[in-house]
Amino acid sequence: MSTVAEPTLNICHIYPEVLNLYGDRGNIRCLQKRLEWRGLDCTVSELKLGEQKDLSPYDLFFIGGGQDFDQAVLLEDLRAGKGEELKAAVEDGKTFLCICGGYQMMGHYYETHDGQRDEFLGAVDFYTVGGDTRMIGNYAFRLGAESGGSTVVGFENHSGRTFLGSGVQPLGTVLKGFGNNGEDGTEGVRYKNVFGSYSHGPILPKNPAFTDFLLTTALERKYGSAVLEPLADRFEHEAHDRVLERVLHEK
Amino acid sequence: MPKKHNVLTTALAVAGCKLTRNALHLFRKGGTTLPGRVAMFFDRDILEVASRGMDIIVVTGTNGKTTTSKMIETALEDAGLQPLNNKSGANLLTGVTAEFVADAGFLGQPKTRYAVVESDEAALKQIVPLLHPKVIVVTNLFRDQLDRYGEVMHTLEQIRIGVSECPESTLCLNADCSLTSSLADGVPNRVVWYGVNTPVGSQAEAAVSDARYCIRCGTEYHYTYHTYAHLGGFVCPHCGYARTAPQVAVEEILRTGADGSTVRLGFAEPDGSRSTCTADIALPALYNIYNAAAAIGAFEAAGLPRADILSSLTKISSSFGRMETFDLDGVPVQMILIKNPAGANQSLEYLCGLDEDFQAVFCLNDNIADGRDISWIWDAEFERLCESPHLKQITVSGLRAEDLQLRLKYAGVPEERMTLIRDNHAIIDQCRKSTLPVFILPNYTSMLSLRADISAVTGKDEFWKG
Repeated sequence: MSTVAEPTLNICHIYPEVLNLYGDRGNIRCLQKRLEWRGLDCTVSELKLGEQKDLSPYDLFFIGGGQDFDQAVLLEDLRAGKGEELKAAVEDGKTFLCICGGYQMMGHYYETHDGQRDEFLGAVDFYTVGGDTRMIGNYAFRLGAESGGSTVVGFENHSGRTFLGSGVQPLGTVLKGFGNNGEDGTEGVRYKNVFGSYSHGPILPKNPAFTDFLLTTALERKYGSAVLEPLADRFEHEAHDRVLERVLHEK
Repeated sequence: MPKKHNVLTTALAVAGCKLTRNALHLFRKGGTTLPGRVAMFFDRDILEVASRGMDIIVVTGTNGKTTTSKMIETALEDAGLQPLNNKSGANLLTGVTAEFVADAGFLGQPKTRYAVVESDEAALKQIVPLLHPKVIVVTNLFRDQLDRYGEVMHTLEQIRIGVSECPESTLCLNADCSLTSSLADGVPNRVVWYGVNTPVGSQAEAAVSDARYCIRCGTEYHYTYHTYAHLGGFVCPHCGYARTAPQVAVEEILRTGADGSTVRLGFAEPDGSRSTCTADIALPALYNIYNAAAAIGAFEAAGLPRADILSSLTKISSSFGRMETFDLDGVPVQMILIKNPAGANQSLEYLCGLDEDFQAVFCLNDNIADGRDISWIWDAEFERLCESPHLKQITVSGLRAEDLQLRLKYAGVPEERMTLIRDNHAIIDQCRKSTLPVFILPNYTSMLSLRADISAVTGKDEFWKG
């Protein structure tokens, strides 16, 4: 019989040594601190290139964005076995937060505008096509009800245009900005407990409702139920509201 | 090969540039872009005419462009050589064009022999094919303003294109930066290397490295020592790509303080011998030691005497907002520009090394010139602030003050020790009333606006207490 141990969340940061652009480490800090501020425990482990690890102890996976130069190195590593394990974890309902390059990596492929196709993980039904212009700027989107329904503000910077397949939901609906492809008003992806987004910023600190939704999802998957105590979040809301106001009023 | 220029269009370009510039001055507008645009409207390559035959040193790279340029300029000035420069910070093609054309005669003929040009990394490929510089200095490559340039590798490739246009130029490169060093690969240029030969700091692996994997083969570098960020003694264990022993080497850091550093320099002389000397650099912090080494290398590469710049560095003053000091009713205020994690970490290191109580003001804007993306603040080690027992109060300001405030909360700064003040004059008032020295750490456009307001109330220009 399991004892009533303090809940602990085991976080796995995938490829931190290459997928670490744009302040993404702030997301890890945020997950850690929001648990710590509630007196909850967590561990953060890193899964680097060339490392083999049993993924079953981990509850929440984070994959950040990276430079194109490094992407080739990690595609090779994924094909060496890690990819299959990550797909299994996705199907097993583990929680994933995937940002920008890490988000694209979860899809089927990335096709450059001159037609060269890089096969990606294929864990989630979507693909990305390279564009000529970068979609850059502060932006905002509203999460779907199944992802908590709150408003997220962030910064996007991508030339890839992502198109979702039929079996998946967008993470949210763009309020202002480009989102997945600048055309269909969708942003990110939600599939099982995979949350993919183009939002750097980093995404989590300024969007505490979304962060808590992720933590709750991971805790529920592990413990059956989870209720997080509310935090004061004054600075969080000030930062969120300031960006939202500017995004909505920028021309 | 120099392009062909027509005398008539040249004269029109020069006249147009000068007229526009005078008109802007008349209306007290400082813009340098419009006069450059007007000149280029008549002759797109007018910069080539207006710089013909000059001895030009171009400085580019992520961090240290302004200070390195200033060190070279000051040494030229001290030697009585009055260089032309783009001090106003206009480091794109239009701004550089305006400076040269405005200084030229009516037929575009240069009137000055020497010039020191600070170039934006992406603009280098437009500027240097026209300037035919004697020396191109590349200080380093760090992640910076990523939304403008995409990514670090993209920036490096922009510089590489610029360099490929100038096989005659001597390159002065930071030997400790594996990205910058790669600019010497497969090019015919003469290279003068500079670097720091000695470990500095904790030798801990940087948590976020901008260059962890070999640029040639993708293998993770080994380091024989670190200085800061990804700079140091890099070696690729697979393909052998490694740091080059520099001709201008900082062999030992003998003293560091708020008023500057003393270092022992080693030189590989052209005759194969080695010589050493002690040098004082009148600006604090490790990155200014790098800037000084870059400036010395560039100065020598331009054929100028080493002794001149060494003597000039002993009394170099800070440039615009870079460790610049002000006196606000007796309160010492120092302004330290921070705009990316590598520079910010070095500045935080400097603050944590202070041994008297102080207060700090952090300002963060996200205007286009800053880079709209401010997420780099999460890569800078603000956690270090909590190590200093002397930091008594923190103010946050700027268009993105709330983001800074949140970042500092995560760094462990207690909420009640932070105050958000958006208005520059309210910040100045607070500085005036302070019983402690104040350190202001703004990013680019917040530095410009604060500096202007501080200069207006102090009623004088910068000064530096040695």
